[in-house]
Amino acid sequence: MANVIEVKNLTKEYKELRAVDDLSFEVRQGEILGLLGPNGSGKSTTINCILSLLNFQKGEIQIFGQEMKPDAYSIKRDIGVVFQDVAVFEELTVYENLNYFCGLYVQDKETRETYIDEAIALVGLEEFRKFRPKKLSGGLLRRLNIACGIAHKPRLIFLDEPTVAVDPQSRNNILDGIKMLRDRGATIVYTTHYMEEVEMICDRVMILDKGKVLAQGSCDELKKLAKIEEKVTVEVAKLQEAILEKIRALKHVEEVKYEDGVLSVVYRAGTNNLVKLIDFLETEAISYSKIYSERPTLNDVFLELTGKELRD
Amino acid sequence: MTVFKAFLKVLNQCKGTVILYSVILIVFGALNMQTNDNSTNFVASRPDVLVINHDEEKGITKELISYLKKNTEFIKVEDSEEARNDALFYRDVNYIVYIPRDYRADVLAGKNPEIEIKSTGDYQSYYAQLLLERYMKTTRNYVDICRAEDGSVDETALLEQVKSTLKKETAVETTSKLDADKLGRLSRYFNFMNYGLLAGAIFTICMVLASFNKEVIRRRILISSMKRRTHNRLLLLSNALFAVFLWAAYTVIGFILCGTEFFATKQGIAYMANSFVFMFCAVTIAFLLANLIQNKEALNGIINVIALGSCFLCGAFVPVEYLPDGVLAAAHILPSYWYIQNNETVKTIETWNFETVKPLLVNMGVILAFSVAFIILANLLSGRKRENA
Repeated sequence: MANVIEVKNLTKEYKELRAVDDLSFEVRQGEILGLLGPNGSGKSTTINCILSLLNFQKGEIQIFGQEMKPDAYSIKRDIGVVFQDVAVFEELTVYENLNYFCGLYVQDKETRETYIDEAIALVGLEEFRKFRPKKLSGGLLRRLNIACGIAHKPRLIFLDEPTVAVDPQSRNNILDGIKMLRDRGATIVYTTHYMEEVEMICDRVMILDKGKVLAQGSCDELKKLAKIEEKVTVEVAKLQEAILEKIRALKHVEEVKYEDGVLSVVYRAGTNNLVKLIDFLETEAISYSKIYSERPTLNDVFLELTGKELRD
Repeated sequence: MTVFKAFLKVLNQCKGTVILYSVILIVFGALNMQTNDNSTNFVASRPDVLVINHDEEKGITKELISYLKKNTEFIKVEDSEEARNDALFYRDVNYIVYIPRDYRADVLAGKNPEIEIKSTGDYQSYYAQLLLERYMKTTRNYVDICRAEDGSVDETALLEQVKSTLKKETAVETTSKLDADKLGRLSRYFNFMNYGLLAGAIFTICMVLASFNKEVIRRRILISSMKRRTHNRLLLLSNALFAVFLWAAYTVIGFILCGTEFFATKQGIAYMANSFVFMFCAVTIAFLLANLIQNKEALNGIINVIALGSCFLCGAFVPVEYLPDGVLAAAHILPSYWYIQNNETVKTIETWNFETVKPLLVNMGVILAFSVAFIILANLLSGRKRENA
């Protein structure tokens, strides 16, 4: 599969701060690459450098096999960007906003009208064509923001945290739309600090921290880095220290915590760990209200790699 | 066309404010035109005078009263000194003349009797004093001449001589062929247009540019496939078109209000040229402000300060001749000063040649120099912003 973006040794510094540190990666055609990292990890700075919105000290950036520069207008024609902040005119209606932003790429009026109708349908704003942004809810506004970035049918789309402060219904709508764009052949770079979203839509994930790539691969590949197999959580009213010691002594148990009536047991390996723990609790005549098992998350991966939570 | 259409849509949101500024211009401009500018008209002044005669009203004394009555307004006041003083205090009377007992006899005898007066001290009272002194000096001169010739005075012949001398007046003729009144009104309207152009053009352009220059919008434009220069050029052209429209509308309104006959005259063309140059300057100020400030509320306040401040300091609201020298000296640093100076000059030009037009061209040159300075500053600021990115 051909590379749509190739970034080599990208370095961006703000006075004392190195926001992006010798970063190298590529984005393959037709994939959704997730850039995952906490706030300040360099995700947005990397995107702004790729788009030539920011100068950078070192590195090479190629898009569609050509060097990306501020005046590379032929490349820009095929790029769409959805910024974290809503970037629309408050004075224009939904349709007028789309007409203006699409008009910056598509001169032919009829083609533009077709594209705008398709973009409106994609984000589900058909009923709001004549609404001004002030009349739209936060979720609808985000959808308009996305529509403005993709109305001209770009081959490469950057989505910079498009679901921040969006209600669950709108979030699902937005994520479905992004998958639809990928299915239509677009390559997508998606930055977020919501790991659930990354797991839902990304084909490949790159974890960033302090401007460096910590790890990259598919979600399953990354989860293997977490070095834990399973996490079992039990809601139990009372537990003696002696019982906790016995649990710690069980096979494959990595860590045991008991706080506020919640017992958390982390297994580093093994199979049927949940069943074995249930048997142990019954043997010890310990009653519990709820018990469930979780596979490791990307947050666990991040914790393993950096020693801190993604949302810290 | 996409940029122009978006410009018009954003502009449409400012229409309320533009209409408000236009209404202010028309209403206050029209009110301002009602004030009369008499700088080129001549009207003889008649002071209010009260004569208290303690002498017999005949001969020289009678003629003095008659002369004063002819050239002043005689006022009746209650016969008490307190009432006279009150009349002076309230400016009901400018000048009170007390003709002493035996005034006539003393003059004929060659004496120089003293006439007591009371005065408000204003220019009207000086004129009354002038009349009184003129009569007294003329009479005394003839008495002296008669007495020197044959030692006696024929009062009837003397009064004939005095009357004939005092009849002589200097004729004042206004030579201007301009309708000074109408031209003055037009000049005051164009002075007032300083406010309309500054407030209207700067407000609208700044508000529209603030929308287009919003950081998030600017970034979206920058990453688009439309060249930045092309976009800026289209935006500049849209703003220029709006400014020309505003100027044309205000100019046409001015000629309708003040006299359409001036439209094709040299004066009319000069007013139009001057205001067009000033409109260009207002556009450059708008570009500079839009580069400096992004916050719309702050912009609104600053625009009002600039528009109203310029108008008050430079003589758009208050005639230039009433402004203190210090204020006018400070106003030199504002383009409005040179614009208003030109309007004031245009109404006085009788003969149009290079020498008379030269001051207008110089002032327009100064306004254009201001515009160039604002453009350079705006470019420096936007360049610095790009570098900081």
